Amino acid sequence: MPDAALPQPIVEMRGIEKVFGAVQALRKVDLVLYPGEILGLVGDNSAGKSTLMKILTGAYQRDAGEIFVAGQPVHFKSPHESRDAGIEMIYQDFALCGNMDVGQNIFLGRWPRKGPFVNRRKMYAEADSVLKRLKVDVNSVFQKVESLSGGRQQSVAIARAISFEPRVVILDEPTANLSVMATERLLETMLELKRQGVAQIIISHRLVDIFAVGDRVMVLKRGENVGDRHIKNTDEHEVLEIIVSGTREQARTADQAKAV
Amino acid sequence: MGLLALLALIYLGGAAVNPTFFGSPEAFHALLRDTSRVAIIAVGMTFVIINKDLDLSVGSIYGLVAVVFARLFAPSFADLDIVTSVIVCVLLGIVIGLVNGVLVTILKVPAFIATLTTLLIGRGFVLALTQGQAIYYPGKAKEAPLFFHLGETNVFGFNNQIAISAVIAVTGAYVLAKTRWGYETFATGGNEQAAVYAGIPTNWVRIRAYLLSSLCATVAGLLSAAQDKGVTPLYGVSGELTVIAAVIIGGASILGGRGRVAGSCLGATLVVLLDKVLREGLPITRTIKIGEEEVTVNAVYSLPVGAVPVFLGLLLVIAVLIEPYLIRRQVAARFWAWLRGRPPPAAFEIGGVALEGMATKGAMATDIALSATGFGKFLARRDALAVILTVVLWLTGLFLRPDYWWNLSNTFAILLNYTELALITVGLTYVIAAGDIDLSVGAVLALAGSAAAYFLKVLGADPVTAVAMGLLAGMLAGLVNAVVAVGLKLPAFIATLGMFYIARGLAAWFVAGQQLTGWPEGYNLLGRKVNDILLHFSVVLPDGILRSLAEVVSVQTVWMVFVALIAGIVLAYTPFGQKVYATGGNIRAAAYAGINTNRARFISLMLAAFCATMAGIINVAYFRSFNPVAGQFRELDAIASVIIGGGSIFGGYGTMLGSLAGAAVITLVRALLQLNVQGFSMPQHWINVFIGVILIAAVLIDIWVRQANLFGRLRARLARRARTPEIADA
Repeated sequence: MPDAALPQPIVEMRGIEKVFGAVQALRKVDLVLYPGEILGLVGDNSAGKSTLMKILTGAYQRDAGEIFVAGQPVHFKSPHESRDAGIEMIYQDFALCGNMDVGQNIFLGRWPRKGPFVNRRKMYAEADSVLKRLKVDVNSVFQKVESLSGGRQQSVAIARAISFEPRVVILDEPTANLSVMATERLLETMLELKRQGVAQIIISHRLVDIFAVGDRVMVLKRGENVGDRHIKNTDEHEVLEIIVSGTREQARTADQAKAV
Repeated sequence: MGLLALLALIYLGGAAVNPTFFGSPEAFHALLRDTSRVAIIAVGMTFVIINKDLDLSVGSIYGLVAVVFARLFAPSFADLDIVTSVIVCVLLGIVIGLVNGVLVTILKVPAFIATLTTLLIGRGFVLALTQGQAIYYPGKAKEAPLFFHLGETNVFGFNNQIAISAVIAVTGAYVLAKTRWGYETFATGGNEQAAVYAGIPTNWVRIRAYLLSSLCATVAGLLSAAQDKGVTPLYGVSGELTVIAAVIIGGASILGGRGRVAGSCLGATLVVLLDKVLREGLPITRTIKIGEEEVTVNAVYSLPVGAVPVFLGLLLVIAVLIEPYLIRRQVAARFWAWLRGRPPPAAFEIGGVALEGMATKGAMATDIALSATGFGKFLARRDALAVILTVVLWLTGLFLRPDYWWNLSNTFAILLNYTELALITVGLTYVIAAGDIDLSVGAVLALAGSAAAYFLKVLGADPVTAVAMGLLAGMLAGLVNAVVAVGLKLPAFIATLGMFYIARGLAAWFVAGQQLTGWPEGYNLLGRKVNDILLHFSVVLPDGILRSLAEVVSVQTVWMVFVALIAGIVLAYTPFGQKVYATGGNIRAAAYAGINTNRARFISLMLAAFCATMAGIINVAYFRSFNPVAGQFRELDAIASVIIGGGSIFGGYGTMLGSLAGAAVITLVRALLQLNVQGFSMPQHWINVFIGVILIAAVLIDIWVRQANLFGRLRARLARRARTPEIADA
């Protein structure tokens, strides 16, 4: 990210609160994401990472707080509404239909039509161009997804996400099910997306991956912000320390930390 | 506790309504005696259901054991001694239990489809072995007083079966609650994955439960033989319904991990009592006018034969709904708090999905289609098997009876049989592609037929009204299926299993168990040949090709082709068809992609009912009569057709072409088996056994060859042995 005057954030969440029964899952959580930025969201289990992202996509409804997308206040009631606003989420298990082929999966639920029928020629042609844009190798758009390896299935999931021309892509534990090779390829794909100006949020346990491609890392602990650092001003050790022993009182934002 | 109160209430209710029957101690004794056999089976079933499995075959095992015992022991058949007969029966029970268990665990066939097949195969055996006749052997029974005394009243004045049942129940309760076997069962049903990680041999635990269930049914079957000293082919019919309803009412969860033997036994008492109350009927006084005088006559209003399953089926569905909707949501506690004006108690953590279907994805076949060309490409299609089988079977028929098979009349007889099955299959293809199952198609066919026949014959309605009423009845059944499965989120197999009994019971009720016949010919035109219809409207075709065609093609075949064509195009080429496939493939992914999966499943279930309804209306018109057994075993045929035609029991696959070819395979198999080859033809009862075997073979082929690609993996292993292994692509 350029250090000069920051552009308008693409996503801004302020004072988000969420309660499940007796459990306070999120307590006054803030999040900022700038265009073209890769933000790593880390924290221990039950820190509220996934909950925060589900509130952003509209899968959960927040109890309090505000969300702005490109400066506009929004209130998504379902993931479809956030999709219309240009926010895409890629789930840990990719959420693909194994019985259908690559092209059908990329256009899942919004197959191009020709009269009352599905326009197959257009579907496969566009699927092919999306895959080319992503620079991933999937043999054929006619291949059934269940016969693809985990890394390629993820490529299809990402291709599906970017075919919506999103401004923000959220990746939930993208490297959890991948081999080392596939992880390398995924990181390249993420940088390619960044070059195309897509902001990304990665939820991950693997700090290595976040340090490889990320611009900034944000730490959640028991539903609270406990710290926020620019990647180039920090190291894995410091982030780990924040995850383990950070508290809200000690929390500093990335810019505060840089100034020190 | 609530169960006990309900029990007392029903009993008192029964006693109040019909004191002569329920007031006496004999009646109470008879109730306990009849309960004892159901309770014994319920003990075994409790283990199966806690394991998150289901055993639909217990009623068949019960009947089959009684029949096999009769065949072995009766002087008119094998005339063996008592010890051998009993040992053979127990061995039979063990074998059936093992087959069920192995199919469900090691071969990974869904429990309901595996045991449904065992049920129908067992029922076929019962009919074949008895030839539909009752077998009695009271004379020889005197030679083995020790065994037959088990079914009689002992010196203490109560029936020995009650004592045996009590012993089995106590043993079962002890094993389930206090021993490792019981703990392993609860762990397996609660979370099989976790149980595996904890080192529990879950496959063995589940096989063991099937063995227990089968053995319990065997014991119950032997007791019935000891009591009645004979058997009829109707023994144990819909016994599985009684037992499963009993276990579920007794507090077991269809989702596994919950259940108690004591509850199951109480549930058994309740269901048997309800059954008795329903069967006994209501004494009523009727006023009859004879001339000028009015005479009051005492009469009994009782339900017609076959109507009882309506209530038991309803009970089953309601009992299954109680757990997720009343207990988990603490309705009673919240209602009580509301009554006292207190705030409701804290809710349990409820997961996003209250109930999950059985469907799991096991598909991992590699795409052979991509590398293949020409004929290879066709072979790689999932529906290729059905098309090839159709051709092979037809040629077999030609080979066996070259004089008769090729004949036009035979071809069109086959075509007529084919039409009914194909019509049902059209709707079922959608349901299976959407990841559900509809076990009620045969029963819905009967329901629609009986409704139409009832309006025609009893109410004297005109044909159009009759058709409308038939459609209405069938679609209502479909609506209930869809609402229970989609709206109330019950697994489709249990919802449609309930409808399987309800619809068939209602069908029998409408016609009071009789065969109805004789109504205006206008209605019967729905099942006639095209030429007959033209003649009815005084249109005479000129001689020639058009005339001969009209003389052989039936209107229902034309209609079936029309329906199949539209349904096939919609499934293959429109977004709705794609939505159905996506829903069946991965319902969560489909929902995330903005597909209304509930709508796709709802419409599919309604379509299946619609197709079965049309088949029922046509069936009545074709036969010019309605028989309560219409459509029996049709669900078996139809499911087998779809699976042979490339459908997957786990959802996401199935094409119209494949299903139609699958229906052709089943029809041809039936025709071939009925074929008289050199004076020998196979009896009808054995054919159903054969079809059951085909269904299970088709499911196994689907799981192991199409999805797990067993042959491909074997080939890969052989190839790997030949050369040094390469590092696989990530």
